[in-house]
Amino acid sequence: MKSVWVFYQKEMLELLRSYKLLWIPVVFIILGIMQPLTTYYMPEILKASGNVPPGLLEGYVIPGAATVMAQALGQYGSMGMLVLALATMNSLSGERYSGTVEMVLVRPLTPATLVIAKWAALLTLLMIALGLGAIAAGYYIEQLIGSLSWSTVLAAASIYGLWLLCAVSMTLLFSAFLRAPVAAFLGLLLTAGLALAHSLLPSWLDWTPAALPDLSAQVLLQAGSVSLVGPCLSAGILILICMGGASLLIRRNILPN
Amino acid sequence: MPLLQVTNLRKSYGKHTSVDGISFEIEQGRCVALLGPNGAGKTTTLRMLAGLLQPTSGAISFDGSHPGMDYRRALGYLPQAPAFYGWMSGMEYVTFAAKLSGSGSKEAASMAATAIERVGLTQDARRRIGGYSGGMKQRLGLAQALVHRPRLLLLDEPVSALDPLGRREVMELLRDIREETTVLFSTHVLHDAEEICDDIILMNRGLIAEQGALSQLRSKYSLPVIRMRTEKNDGALKWLETLASKPFIVEARLSGDGAVFNVSDVEVARRSILQEAASLDIPLLQFEAGSSTLEDLFMKVVGA
Ligand SMILES: Nc1ncnc2c1ncn2[C@@H]1O[C@H](COP(=O)(O)OP(=O)(O)OP(=O)(O)O)[C@@H](O)[C@H]1O
Ligand SMILES: [Mg+2]
Repeated sequence: MKSVWVFYQKEMLELLRSYKLLWIPVVFIILGIMQPLTTYYMPEILKASGNVPPGLLEGYVIPGAATVMAQALGQYGSMGMLVLALATMNSLSGERYSGTVEMVLVRPLTPATLVIAKWAALLTLLMIALGLGAIAAGYYIEQLIGSLSWSTVLAAASIYGLWLLCAVSMTLLFSAFLRAPVAAFLGLLLTAGLALAHSLLPSWLDWTPAALPDLSAQVLLQAGSVSLVGPCLSAGILILICMGGASLLIRRNILPN
Repeated sequence: MPLLQVTNLRKSYGKHTSVDGISFEIEQGRCVALLGPNGAGKTTTLRMLAGLLQPTSGAISFDGSHPGMDYRRALGYLPQAPAFYGWMSGMEYVTFAAKLSGSGSKEAASMAATAIERVGLTQDARRRIGGYSGGMKQRLGLAQALVHRPRLLLLDEPVSALDPLGRREVMELLRDIREETTVLFSTHVLHDAEEICDDIILMNRGLIAEQGALSQLRSKYSLPVIRMRTEKNDGALKWLETLASKPFIVEARLSGDGAVFNVSDVEVARRSILQEAASLDIPLLQFEAGSSTLEDLFMKVVGA
């Protein structure tokens, strides 16, 4: 367990020195702010662009604060996820292909130690990015649109974060035995596939992690009671499978040939 | 009791066998060279000893423990092409390595400082590894292998990638290090092995061709030998070939315009060869009667 901590510290230092700990939260903050800004200034933006058909702007009502927050979180499902996958793809495969993992794994630690530490560092990065992004979005929503219940925002962001963590974990699994770009591609593909399947068959797949983004929005909009148990449990299991699989695969793929 | 005991170690990749059932022992405190040409299976062997590669079959026992026991805590390892985190400083890396081997923060810091000083990197310890030269990286590799005071050091071609100066430095370091701990290092240069080792294990194509203490091997292979070179003309070369079938010649190796003969009796061989050369008017360039060296053994094993 001590070596998990040692390796986690190294990972965090690496995230810091490679500026990932800076630019990824910045991307999340920008994505978060964009939503309330564009929503609020939509009429102005349209007016400025000229030739707006008359009558269009009369019907424009600014959506409620909770709705805008849900839309802001929704932004993280595409761009945010892409950024996270790019940050994750190298974490195991880079160490394998450069050979650094060979020098680490001759020391008395297990592959699982390495995977847990990497995963924990990525979780930290995710929490910082998503947390700051949600706070920034919430701040602008309160300034421009209306007040929010911050405890609901916290709950909704956590639920959304769990979905993002699933994508990160899958990318981590692939990076244990594939090259980085392939790992990112497959991680994103699998996540998109899950999301698509859920949108086609919502009632069948409402127990999967793919239901989490919808649930996050429902929590914000306080649309009745939501059942979180199934999706959270399945997300937890998915993450455990990814980490277990990554540990087994990295043991066999210490040497990249 | 030997520190390391290897029995019938094998590694095959599909049909191709890299290490084909080798057995050897390493006594505590010895410096052993794993000597062999490219592709002999040195790296494969060291990786199995380091626990990075699962052997296809065979047993490795460390310090009399049951085969399969984890002895990585007592191991220091330097791969053939060590790779570091370029964004770390040398000191940070060695400290990180010491911590991963189980030392507490304070202890790790002081052990790292000692190891860094040991390999002469104190000046550059705070610089990023990304800016290190090849020789500095190799010395850093030694520092990380040494930092936790391992009982057995496995070094994979520690000097092969270095220029003569860097090579000199690292060899001097190894000479020092071997006083403190047991060392197994691989090389394809006999000279490196002779310079600092007690024992050699000579490998070729996955097999051990010869092993033992250097001094023993030297006397064992110091056989009477005659080396000759003639001018490059057909008559002379033919003559060298015919010599090979003489009764006093045990073994002949011809190469271009030269030949090395292992002989049973130098006196007889010398007299008879020189007489024949004179009567046939062979243009001899060089004639030397002496005893064979390990170099000859090495060339024989590698050339075979
Ligand atoms: N992963 C692998 N898959 C297939 N064959 C391999 C693999 N690794 C090594 N080999 C083969 O095993 C043999 C021994 O390789 P090894 O790297 O152990 O040699 P070596 O003695 O270290 O050589 P060198 O001096 O070039 O480093 C070679 O023929 C090599 O092609
Ligand atoms: Mg090798």
